[in-house]
Amino acid sequence: MKKTLALILAVLMLLSVASFALAEDAQTLTIVAWDAETTPYLAAQKEAFEASHPGVTIEYIDVASQDYPVKTTTMLSGGDASDVYMVKELPHLLDWQAAGFAEPLNSYIEASGYDKSGFLGMEANYAVDGEQYALPFRSDFWVLFYNKDLFDAAGVEYPTNDMTWEQYADLAKQMTSDGVYGTHYHTWLSAVVNWDVCDGVNTLIDGDYSDLAYFYELYQGLEDAGACMPYDEVKAAGLHYSAAFENGNVAMLPMGYWFVSTMIQAIKDGTCDFNWGIVSVPHKEDVAAGSSFGNLTGAMINAKSEHKDLAWEYISWLAGEQGALATASTGTRPAWVSEAVAEAMASAEGFPTDDASKAALVPTYVGIEIPASEHSSEISTVLNEEHTLIMTRENTIEEGIEAMNERVAEILG
Amino acid sequence: MTQITATPANGVRPSHPALAIVGKTLLYIVLVAIALVTLIPFVWMISASLKLDREVFSYPIRWVPEVFHWENYSLIWSKVPLLTYFKNTAFIAIVVTFIQTLTSSFAAYAFAKLRFRGRNVLFICYVATIAVPWQTYMLPQFILMRSMGLYDTLWAIVVLQSFSAFGVFLMRQFYQGIPTELCEAARIDGLSEYGIWARIMLPLSKAAIATLVIFTFVGTWNDYMGPMIYLTRDVNKTVQVGLRRFIQENSSDYHLIMAVSVCSLLPVSIVFLSLQKYFIQGIATTGLKG
Amino acid sequence: MAQTKDRKPLYKRHMTRYERKKELIAYSFLAPNFIGFAVFTLLPVLFSIFLSFVKWKGGDFSTMQWVGLGNYAEIFKTAKVAEKGIGYLFAKVDLGIALKNTLFYTLVTVPMTLVCSVALALALNKAVKGAVGFRTIFFFPYVASMVAICVCWRFMMMKDGPINQFIMALGINFNKSWTADSGMAIWSIILVSVWRNMGYYMVIYLAALQGVPTDLYEAATMDGANKWQQFAHVTLPQLRPTTFFASTMLIISCFKIYDVVAIMTEGGPGRSTKMLVTYIYDEAFAHFNYGIASAIAMVLLVIVLIFTLIQFSMEDRYAND
Repeated sequence: MKKTLALILAVLMLLSVASFALAEDAQTLTIVAWDAETTPYLAAQKEAFEASHPGVTIEYIDVASQDYPVKTTTMLSGGDASDVYMVKELPHLLDWQAAGFAEPLNSYIEASGYDKSGFLGMEANYAVDGEQYALPFRSDFWVLFYNKDLFDAAGVEYPTNDMTWEQYADLAKQMTSDGVYGTHYHTWLSAVVNWDVCDGVNTLIDGDYSDLAYFYELYQGLEDAGACMPYDEVKAAGLHYSAAFENGNVAMLPMGYWFVSTMIQAIKDGTCDFNWGIVSVPHKEDVAAGSSFGNLTGAMINAKSEHKDLAWEYISWLAGEQGALATASTGTRPAWVSEAVAEAMASAEGFPTDDASKAALVPTYVGIEIPASEHSSEISTVLNEEHTLIMTRENTIEEGIEAMNERVAEILG
Repeated sequence: MTQITATPANGVRPSHPALAIVGKTLLYIVLVAIALVTLIPFVWMISASLKLDREVFSYPIRWVPEVFHWENYSLIWSKVPLLTYFKNTAFIAIVVTFIQTLTSSFAAYAFAKLRFRGRNVLFICYVATIAVPWQTYMLPQFILMRSMGLYDTLWAIVVLQSFSAFGVFLMRQFYQGIPTELCEAARIDGLSEYGIWARIMLPLSKAAIATLVIFTFVGTWNDYMGPMIYLTRDVNKTVQVGLRRFIQENSSDYHLIMAVSVCSLLPVSIVFLSLQKYFIQGIATTGLKG
Repeated sequence: MAQTKDRKPLYKRHMTRYERKKELIAYSFLAPNFIGFAVFTLLPVLFSIFLSFVKWKGGDFSTMQWVGLGNYAEIFKTAKVAEKGIGYLFAKVDLGIALKNTLFYTLVTVPMTLVCSVALALALNKAVKGAVGFRTIFFFPYVASMVAICVCWRFMMMKDGPINQFIMALGINFNKSWTADSGMAIWSIILVSVWRNMGYYMVIYLAALQGVPTDLYEAATMDGANKWQQFAHVTLPQLRPTTFFASTMLIISCFKIYDVVAIMTEGGPGRSTKMLVTYIYDEAFAHFNYGIASAIAMVLLVIVLIFTLIQFSMEDRYAND
């Protein structure tokens, strides 16, 4: 009996010594991120930050990307003390802020005289009632990817940075031939109709979806002409857009900027071997060329963190120019805008070398895919449900849009 | 005491031999047909595991890969620490199966053969909790586990799975099928309740225990949500969670997922095959002879 | 049978020391499992009942707001339903649609699975050649990873896919992807569920068949019973506790269907395969409305409890026969 007691005591003491030793090492920052092992920009950021901050170690906590909201919210609710959480989707930050997980940043910003000019006002998406809760470090807007080899083979001019949707549709039909699709649409709502927000007036949470009809009609015209793989097939096969494009039988693909680093990697790994480029997405007649929409990715400080100052040091670095350069070096688009950053993006290894691709790096306007609001996530569920009915043509475009209007009106009350 | 002779469970001899042959042939045809349908996804799985990622969903379906990419099976071990995942999963599955089988057959005996106050209410409680989706009580459970220091340890999954109501329910139903007279007789012979459980109930419920072992093992082995929420560091992850590392935000390696799935099938198949014999004995009632 | 029959009002009078000891023994059998169960399952479940009456987005408990029946009013859209009639609930409201889909799915899947699994168990309980192989094959779907299986079936059920080619050959004119058709999507989920579960319940029935005393069959044969009569009068009654278990578990698992739907149809097209747990999942993990999610779960719990209690009372009645 005594022996066991002594043993237990010894173990307890060892444990307390061990935890003390851990507490001493205050220079480790734990950062919760998704796909931490395989995302090139996270590795580049870690390397650059550790190099410029001797003695600090960055430790990522890896969460699978599709489980990110579930897992992180559970961790935060359970009182997890990891220092920094990456904010994957805009609406999550609102929920986290409401639950008190996010550290308010205004005092840090004032104390350090932080320069926010490079965000071009985008940081406002992470503010609630004038208080900043996160800083953006990645901004992915949508561009048009195209397969240069297919255009060369067909003897057709490459797409340009100034095309209307009609010109784009004609080009897609022109590029369509046996075994080659002129363009490719992923199944998402955003891939088909989110273009509506490029005009800087419309949003997807305003409750009026009549403008989406234009894009649904455009899509159905392309599908009927056989210029893109039918929705039905893409959905049922679970076809990933990267597989579709890398297969080499798709001439164009409107997709988010994040796909640039995927493509760079794919060429490097040899999983695909054709020349590709990017141009700005097409625009409506009355919308300026180079307008697009996109999403922000940010980082916030966990209110329960025990190293808040260091965490601030990290996220302010990450979102600022230095972090942006590290991010850009991997072909990922940082939120911070400056000449140096644009240069770094264009010179990222594997980025297309033509002028049009470089010019496409600077959009004229970037709308927010779905702005954060109290109802964003509910609205987005409704829109996605109705979207599937339009895409499978169980509802006509008019019926579908009427249902969207009706159901969202109910949510907005 | 009940006298039971050892004849096969289908100890009835068919009256018309010719009819029996026709019947048997028909039975085989049906069984083979179902077996083929059942196997299709597995054939697809194996074929996909030997392809390149972009070939997996190419259409129309190509059952035999153009080129056999055997290297997928070595890639999965080097791209992620799969061996660690397998070890963790095996540890959890074995410990859970052991605790679950032991404690639930114990508790089931009380529910099936003993009488005490609150028996029905308690039992309904057990069954009712099965009906509550885990998603709704996951958060309180997580907070509880964290406060006990179990978060990000394999023990979190052990305590989560070991005391599930399922095992108690299953064993209780089997015990109910065992004649109560047997217990009464044993009591008269002077056996304690523990003795009855160990010497009568356990030997009689081999098939049931085999069932529970299989289900618990398979269920724990394939569990995804629990480990996903509770296990965070790579050294603690299980196969099902590790699998998701091949599905990333902007790309997915379905060929590798299929390769891992095929490997992950092996241990469970072995457990199932090795416990098969308990379903074939035919006469579960051996040992009942007065 | 004798034991359940004498239901005297035993506990009304004072217990003798002997009875108390017997009760203590019973509790000692229960304790190891019950303690773990109570702490890790029962307690959190009770807490989630409480959650259904509050508004909570996670985080500190101090951020909870008591809303009484507010969450229930919200999911049933009581104000709208009172105004537009009960039809509105099932046609337009998420909960009504999910309830309708889940009920339909359950009512079709449960009997289909039970019949298939009993049939397979009976066929393979005999000393058929290759029984081990067949059993293993039929159990396989349950063992394999969900993602692989569902992705594969979705693929098989595609437009121009093998399954459509087969039914077209039978002269049925249907050529759309099953999962992309509001009418067929739920059937694709039903078929995959039956296919996946029949091996599982087959194993349970196989185990139960081992417990059927052979003398019963002999007696039946001597009485001149044919095979069907043996099945109806010997096998089925003997399998009753197992059937109670299997049907209860099946009903519960059907009501809780989630993963097949999540992978195959994501609840679509539209809301045609939205199930109760899909709805719960959305509310809990996409919108972080834990109160609402818990309220939906309570609706589910009540329905399942009603089913279970009906079965439970039937079981008691048979046991008393």
